[in-house]
Amino acid sequence: MTDLERFIAERGPRWKRLGALLDEVQDAPESQLGRARLQELVLLYRSACADLNQARALTANPQLLENVNQLVGRGYRFLYRGRASSRLDWKGFFLRDVPATFRREERWVRVAAAALLLGAAVGFGAVMVNPAQAEALLPPQFVAGRPSDRVAQIESGKERIDSLSKATEFGSYLYTHNLRVSFLTFAAGALTFAGGLLLLFYNGVLLGVVSAQYILDGAGTFFVAWVGPHGALELPSIVFAGAAGLLAGRALLMPGERGRPAALRESFPAVFRMLSACAVLLVCAGLIEGSFSQMSARSVPYPVKIAVACGLFAAMCGWLFAGRAERAR
Amino acid sequence: MKQRRLVHSPEHVLIELVPAGLGRRFAAFLLDSAIIVGATGLISTASAILPEAVRAMFVATAGFLVLWGYHTWFEVRWNGQSPGKRILRIRVVDGRGLPVDVAQSLVRNVVRLLDILPLGGVGMLSALLDSQHRRLGDRASDTLVVSDEQLAVPRVEALGARRFNSLRTPRVLRLVDHRLGIEERELLFALCLRAPHLSERARYELFEEVGEHYRVRLGVEDPHLSGENLVRGIASLCAGAEEST
Repeated sequence: MTDLERFIAERGPRWKRLGALLDEVQDAPESQLGRARLQELVLLYRSACADLNQARALTANPQLLENVNQLVGRGYRFLYRGRASSRLDWKGFFLRDVPATFRREERWVRVAAAALLLGAAVGFGAVMVNPAQAEALLPPQFVAGRPSDRVAQIESGKERIDSLSKATEFGSYLYTHNLRVSFLTFAAGALTFAGGLLLLFYNGVLLGVVSAQYILDGAGTFFVAWVGPHGALELPSIVFAGAAGLLAGRALLMPGERGRPAALRESFPAVFRMLSACAVLLVCAGLIEGSFSQMSARSVPYPVKIAVACGLFAAMCGWLFAGRAERAR
Repeated sequence: MKQRRLVHSPEHVLIELVPAGLGRRFAAFLLDSAIIVGATGLISTASAILPEAVRAMFVATAGFLVLWGYHTWFEVRWNGQSPGKRILRIRVVDGRGLPVDVAQSLVRNVVRLLDILPLGGVGMLSALLDSQHRRLGDRASDTLVVSDEQLAVPRVEALGARRFNSLRTPRVLRLVDHRLGIEERELLFALCLRAPHLSERARYELFEEVGEHYRVRLGVEDPHLSGENLVRGIASLCAGAEEST
């Protein structure tokens, strides 16, 4: 027998045993495997590593090499995986980790907010200078007659949302839609950086154009009371998703000396926390938009709605950006 | 051409990550999509038992969670596999060959939003142009979809289980020992192991061509011995198997 046959005959049973142990731990937690078998798995993995090196020196047989390589790869994936996920500390995650991330990555939030506000200023200015430009800047579904007609319709007719089922249905439609928009903004920023900025700018233009239309038509207070309560959370959420995209995009496109994989991995926890906060805020904003925002002045006076909007915005800023002393630590 | 990624393990062993084929990835995606559609339909049907006030909200929220959470939930829980990927024997791993974590999987699957535009064209094109078949989501999250086929340990001795072997003569045995190097022996084993996966025509032509080489090399003068019988006979001699009865 040649060396190779002897090699396979000797090591084959060990590889088979290692494969069987790895099959066992694939779906069941390692605690079910028991200490003895876990130690056996580690020993077999180390010996398979040595076998792979030896097999490479001994043979060019693709099937043998592929087999041992797969086995070692599976063992490596099991032994060197991250810490087994214990139960997530939701309270700590949302009250400590998320705000700390926002404070640390505040510059990306500022860049994203600047893109949105710049777009809003451009849209607002363009319509104030020439109101006819609104139709050219808005997509067809946004062009819906004169704002004052819409205000009259909302304020004189019966309440649009007059039942809990309507409120929840409309609210859930809104937050799922807004989450998709946020994901798109994130993805565009994560892949191209400039794409994320452009989407933020475009969203700002839409906001600026619509707000200018209402102000020009004498319905400025209505607009603030209508958009304010949900916009106080919704608009920052889009900004946060854009900021998360910029953070990931910088790691992908401008990784620096660390190298792309290291830069990406470093950015992922912050990206995850920012997107999580964004999802929570958008669900709240959707539910508010589906109910409270739609109420006419007969049910909730404008000053109350505007006060609620200010309160919500302040609460959000307090949650995410207060406690600056912590940043210095 | 697919390019393997090399990972250095802490034991100083190079582990090769073999990128999965695009066909298998697409089939897995179709399977997962069918499961998502089925689950969404089920949610819609099951929601009939809920009060009307929250029914539409439940359907929209649960549908959204299934659509966006399905891949991430399974990839994190099942060590890089979703049901579709498990059936097709492929797996998502991170760039270092380790399991993906929740943030990585989320980024990978959120960027799918751009990969599926238009009708999956962007993702497909990106994967086609990349040597490791990474779509945009894989690039943004530093992940790789690898083949997870667990091959059987090759049993070389099984190749030698031949009932009759007309080549087992002292002359041929001596020539096999003296003339065949390790690479020529490897070729015989590799061909025998791969034979069941070849089409009939390719199998015949390949065995005849390789057989001709060994026929000349060992001076075998039996014109009635087919290429495959010749190759298997010599492989049997190389494996050192005794003639079975």
